[in-house]
Amino acid sequence: MSQYKIIFTGPVGAGKTTAINSISDVPPIKTDASASDMAKARKAATTVAMDYGIMNLEGGEKIHLYGTPGQERFDFMWDILVTGGIGLILLLDNTRADPFTDMRFFLDAFKKFIAETNVAIGVTQMDRSNKPTIADYHAQLQVSDLKPPVFAVDARAKDDISLLVQSLLYSLDPGLAE
Amino acid sequence: MMENNKRPLKVALHGMNGRTIKTMMLFLQGPCEGAANVVVNAEDADVDVFDGDSPGSKNLLEQHIQKKNLKPVIVFSLQDFVQEGVLSLIKPIKTSDMLKVLELAKTMVAEHSKKAVDGAIPPMPQTGTEEPRLQLDESEKPGLKTAKHQTAMRLDEKSFNEFIGVIEDIDAKSPKQFINDAHYNPKDYYQGFIQSALAIAQEKGQVLLLESDWWPITLFPRTQEVWLEASDVELKGFAGIQLNRKTKTADLFLTPVDPETLGIGGALDKFQSMDAFLWKLACWTSRGRYPHDIDFKLPIYLKNWPNFTRLVITPHALRISALLIQGPRTMTNVAQALNIKPQYVFVFVSAAYAVGLVGQARRAEDVLVQAPDIEPSKGKRLLGRIMSKLRGN
Repeated sequence: MSQYKIIFTGPVGAGKTTAINSISDVPPIKTDASASDMAKARKAATTVAMDYGIMNLEGGEKIHLYGTPGQERFDFMWDILVTGGIGLILLLDNTRADPFTDMRFFLDAFKKFIAETNVAIGVTQMDRSNKPTIADYHAQLQVSDLKPPVFAVDARAKDDISLLVQSLLYSLDPGLAE
Repeated sequence: MMENNKRPLKVALHGMNGRTIKTMMLFLQGPCEGAANVVVNAEDADVDVFDGDSPGSKNLLEQHIQKKNLKPVIVFSLQDFVQEGVLSLIKPIKTSDMLKVLELAKTMVAEHSKKAVDGAIPPMPQTGTEEPRLQLDESEKPGLKTAKHQTAMRLDEKSFNEFIGVIEDIDAKSPKQFINDAHYNPKDYYQGFIQSALAIAQEKGQVLLLESDWWPITLFPRTQEVWLEASDVELKGFAGIQLNRKTKTADLFLTPVDPETLGIGGALDKFQSMDAFLWKLACWTSRGRYPHDIDFKLPIYLKNWPNFTRLVITPHALRISALLIQGPRTMTNVAQALNIKPQYVFVFVSAAYAVGLVGQARRAEDVLVQAPDIEPSKGKRLLGRIMSKLRGN
């Protein structure tokens, strides 16, 4: 049976683990460990390998939800992870020093995968910091020639993450029936 | 300043219109030196204040007295108002008289609290520890607060019709109907006034209060928020009323709010993001029609995806966005390509146009060639099943 995947990526603390947990049918398998480098300032524990969750579809098919490790020293894994992926969910933390740099970094790192599939961007922590705004993110995206969905999301809210994934799927095919 | 203004009384104003409330706020903050603040929710108040002359207010006052509320009541009246337990003031109100009556009310509140502690009478509702109140000057400081998080409300076609009200069926193949029946001018409705007021607030970078015969609304340009006490049901009702020319010019007031002199009590949950407010207001005004500034024969474009997690999601809105973001199309073409009723395209376009996300494509190349058909994706069946799972079908 084919391995269908949706990939969740983004910087440390953006909410990848929580987002996968929101829509997974099984408790996600986490590979957290004590943060020992730059992640330490933001989280006591961070994902050093990957997160994994499953959505069970009718007929027994499964969609695998993979969260990339946030730390850049694990970026060698990203190419392997995206193979066979349906699309990319990029989560950004609005309280970080420069979320635009984060966005550019991840869009560039997954450029090939995005070109072959599509991307939807969720901005977390907007309740804590409402600047930059969603419009600011769209303005930044103009230079990249991408027009992906960019939504304010609470990674804990199933509806938010579900909508983000739905927007990714409709981006792939607007003809999908509701 | 009065020495005992460290904890000003909280007063609720009953039976007064927006302009009178504003005058009272200014009076209490200015001449009365902050002896009392106006709060929006009556249950948060220490004291209830009534206008004893207007018929509507008289009824409210009678009902209030019958309830034997334990809070002090102040009545403003042109004649002596005699009622046991009620403090009255003769209009026009003098500052010294107002201060005296507020002192009396404060003493009553304190005595009541003491008796409540002693167990002699039931305690009055606490007013000092409830949800935080907002001061206007603080609200405009970036990052201090944001509008209450509101998750998107997603509507299927049945719930959408309940949300919007009955809308006339429009034949997708009948351009004549599009011209005659399917458009509206936002300027003829409350939506138009709000959009004009928002534009002025943005341009001046100033907090503005829009008053009319309806509820007053405060516009905060820096935080991109509005504050409105009215419920969505009330807003929906008012949004659909076509306002006459006289109302437009005579009964609407837009006044700057000076954060230095004016502090209002305002429940945080009454704040809404401007876009979310304008989006739903446009939906209720449109009721399945498109804005008359849009030429239905020409293509439209979508500047970027709406922030759907914080908006009312009309039927097929995600699909319409996904299609339009690929390139300009006419509204008719969108409806045909997605095989949906034109009204769903019109209401989406109305909302997105109101927040500046939709525009008319006027480049020659956009009009020259018909938009391509949707190319089905390779994994359409799989994507459909994932979608079904996510939507809980």
